[in-house]
Amino acid sequence: MSTITIDGQSVPFEDGETIYEVSRRLERDVPTLCYDDRLEAFGACRLCVVELEGARNPVASCTTMAADGMVVRTATEAIERHRKTLMDLVVSENPKGARIDPLRGLASQELAHLAVRYESDGSRFVGKQSGTSRPDDTNPMILRDYDNCISCYRCVRVCAEREGDYAISVANRGFETQITTEFAGLLEDSDCTFCGQCVQTCPTGALGDLRSMEAQDQPGEFEKTRSICPYCGVGCSVDILTKNEKIVGVQPAMDGPANLGALCVKGQFGWDWVDSDERLTQPLVRKDGKLVPASWEEAWERAAKGFKSVVEKHGRHAVYAVASGRAPHESAYSVQKFVRYGFGTNYVDNCSRA
Amino acid sequence: MSTDQDLVARWAVEPAPLLPLLHAFHNRDGYLSEAALRAVSEGLRIPLADLYGTVTFYHHFAREEGGHSRPRVCDGPICKLRGSDELMAELDGATPMPCAGRCDDPIPVLVENRYLAGRPGAKLRETPAPMPDDNPGELEECCFAGIREDGRATLMGYCSDGGYGALTRAVREGSPAGVIEVVEASGLAGRGGAGFPTGRKWRAVAEAPGGPKTIVCNADEGEPGCFKDRVLMDYDPHAVIEGMALAAFATGATRGFIYLRYEYPHTERILEDAILDARDAGLLGQRILGSDFSFELYVRRGAGAYICGEETSLLNSLEGKHPFPRNKPPYPVTHGFEDLPTVVNNVETLASVPPILAKGADWYRGLGLGDHAGTKIISLSGDVQRPGNYEVPIGLPLDTLLNDWAGGPLEGRTFQAVTMAGLSGGFLGKFDDVTLDEPCLRARGSFLGAGGIMVFDDRRDMVDLARQAMAFFAHESCGKCFPCRIGTQRLTERLAGEAGPADADEWKREVADIGTTMAAVSACGLGIAAPLITQSLLRDFPDAVDANLEARKS
Ligand SMILES: Cc1cc2nc3c(=O)[nH]c(=O)nc-3n(C[C@H](O)[C@H](O)[C@H](O)COP(=O)(O)O)c2cc1C
Ligand code: SF4
Ligand code: SF4
Ligand code: SF4
Ligand code: FES
Repeated sequence: MSTITIDGQSVPFEDGETIYEVSRRLERDVPTLCYDDRLEAFGACRLCVVELEGARNPVASCTTMAADGMVVRTATEAIERHRKTLMDLVVSENPKGARIDPLRGLASQELAHLAVRYESDGSRFVGKQSGTSRPDDTNPMILRDYDNCISCYRCVRVCAEREGDYAISVANRGFETQITTEFAGLLEDSDCTFCGQCVQTCPTGALGDLRSMEAQDQPGEFEKTRSICPYCGVGCSVDILTKNEKIVGVQPAMDGPANLGALCVKGQFGWDWVDSDERLTQPLVRKDGKLVPASWEEAWERAAKGFKSVVEKHGRHAVYAVASGRAPHESAYSVQKFVRYGFGTNYVDNCSRA
Repeated sequence: MSTDQDLVARWAVEPAPLLPLLHAFHNRDGYLSEAALRAVSEGLRIPLADLYGTVTFYHHFAREEGGHSRPRVCDGPICKLRGSDELMAELDGATPMPCAGRCDDPIPVLVENRYLAGRPGAKLRETPAPMPDDNPGELEECCFAGIREDGRATLMGYCSDGGYGALTRAVREGSPAGVIEVVEASGLAGRGGAGFPTGRKWRAVAEAPGGPKTIVCNADEGEPGCFKDRVLMDYDPHAVIEGMALAAFATGATRGFIYLRYEYPHTERILEDAILDARDAGLLGQRILGSDFSFELYVRRGAGAYICGEETSLLNSLEGKHPFPRNKPPYPVTHGFEDLPTVVNNVETLASVPPILAKGADWYRGLGLGDHAGTKIISLSGDVQRPGNYEVPIGLPLDTLLNDWAGGPLEGRTFQAVTMAGLSGGFLGKFDDVTLDEPCLRARGSFLGAGGIMVFDDRRDMVDLARQAMAFFAHESCGKCFPCRIGTQRLTERLAGEAGPADADEWKREVADIGTTMAAVSACGLGIAAPLITQSLLRDFPDAVDANLEARKS
């Protein structure tokens, strides 16, 4: 059995495990900023460096495979000094990032928490800021506040590796790097599907969920309630964010078995109908081309008459029913029963097939 | 004129097609238009956003109409001393470019694909690279032994002096293992910077499972103050080609690329011609010399990025990916071009191989002084009587090179500092007893690397030279890892006095802390080496630093 020694503790590991993964199993608190479990390790932030016996320099634990007989120390004084310097450097280009509203996104506090841990307050290594925000991108869902960007490229990588969309990339190099779409355009004009995954993995809130951010100024903390996305049959796990009993946002659940932190535009951003004034609260029927309130009896009558006349005129296969993906099992069952038994056709489907 | 479809069809079927296809559009249109990028994206199936990001990575791809024909003037450290700012002001629409590898005959200017040189007030002219002088120590050479002969760059000239003899013998009578043994025994180590033993690298590729295998000749020569690979390729291209063919024979590789820096367009034509001639003579291509050994060789031109000389960044660039360096391990010997076993060797390393195989491992070892094996080409430039390329025995005293070979300082001047490894080895202020070999230089906190040495005399402002050097590294940092991306920027600001503590001790503490962390945890050699600039400045020129910081206060 292969073993690795981490901070004096000898542990077995599996083939393909990185030093970082083994360290985490041992609950060593190795800091990271460019790391996202679901993505290929990238090795940008260098905060995860550890001392490896026999190596000239510290190694990035996220990209270094565990090997038999390795002796690793995760938090020597020298290592912690490098981390402090790295944190002071990254806060120096991004002093606002240490104070970001958590409603911006799931991972938005990572930088802030590490800034506290390493007492990085922006007073060292003062200098030019990197990243240029895009206030001209007025899409209603995703804030592109690149003044806060630390060039970890998690957004670019999640878009490519998880969403398979390749809507965004890295322009320029060095201190001038900038997250961009093709030809530095707007998200709307790019291949972006507005799935929001880049927002949720951003460790600084440089990308923000604009819908949730509307509730930033409401008093109080938000609560999270685990649920399932109501839209389609995939069944993505979500955490519904509420403030004062009202929904203020949705975040994907990283441990959701169906989605592992992914959502689509509907699940991510399409929740505002819940408290919408425009929701139907009573039956309406059309009279002289106008919808007017009616009793349930009158509404049933009208609907039944309409269906009947269509079937009489065009036959039973002229009716086709689509059950809402948002409907519970029992309702979906009733719909097909109603269509098959009531009309005598098999033309029944569900909107979650797409 | 070729249509978009013509260009795409021409290149889409070739290996490593992105760079040549982009150059084809760049040359045709004089810039890379949106329409061109859309055609390339579709033709090579590269997502448009990725392609756009990758194109912006390279310094020399113009994205506005007419950009390709605007002059680009070298503002490397030596050209700066020779008036590149003035020259830039004289030329309409000129923009600066980092060291373009002509420090021995400044100042290079690129206009479209023409490589010109000139001084302020003088007409620009297209002149060949200076030929190295005869060895001033009258010592036996390896790489330069035949280079000064007339017609050496032609196949006939090369062959008349025994050229391709080593390849012929290896293919007809030798074995791959035999070639590797000689190269290993010769002690040849990488001449591109890292100094890895060449024989060991070849053996690793020969033994690595999987294929096709690839030989990459690293001709990116982006290090400021280095111009040796250019002279080898310009005057002895067949030595490089023969070296690559021998590497292929030894490792079982079937394809090769010469990754040539953008700034050497004339060299591209020389290499292309030489490859055609060698192929016609049955020395490249299918069934070389009638044997069953085949090796196809391609030239790929870079587009202006120093980091693309780093071997894994180079491989990403060849593959058409964003040229960030890769995480290592795995190394190119097992996971190189297209994730298959690959040799990456420097031009000089490869050009050394044919003479080594012709004359033997012992002969090569014996060229070095003392225990050191072989020779190294030094590109010497700056404030010295006779700048140029010198092939020195490894272990030669620097003093001999500077004073006996190159004529010493300019009239009435004294040497103040030399750089090592171009800029990557930082400055040396005390170098009377330095010998040109890695053990000596590493003990001094520097390294020989690719062998660029820039000399600065007592007139020069060391803090400002350090600022220029750090600005170069900041300009060339790929932006992948935090310590280098932010560190090179912060160090440049501090050296320039644009930001940072006013208090001298605090200033030095910040500079030292950034340097220590960069050197320890950066993801590649650029970020590891860059702080040698500030560390050597603080070590060897503390008075210059103090004076500079003091002067800022007033
Ligand atoms: C930032 C950076 C730039 C480099 N540039 C070059 C270069 O221009 N040419 C080169 O041969 N090697 C360069 N190298 C070294 C290569 O990574 C690699 O070690 C070398 O090409 C291997 O060939 P060799 O063993 O023959 O030297 C560079 C390395 C770094 C870190
Ligand atoms: S919202 Fe989704 S598709 Fe759009 S850029 Fe972000 S990750 Fe890519
Ligand atoms: S926008 Fe956020 S996720 Fe993307 S690179 Fe910047 S900090 Fe990282
Ligand atoms: S050290 Fe610099 S050049 Fe190398 S990977 Fe890091 S940012 Fe890029
Ligand atoms: S987590 Fe390893 S480098 Fe960022």
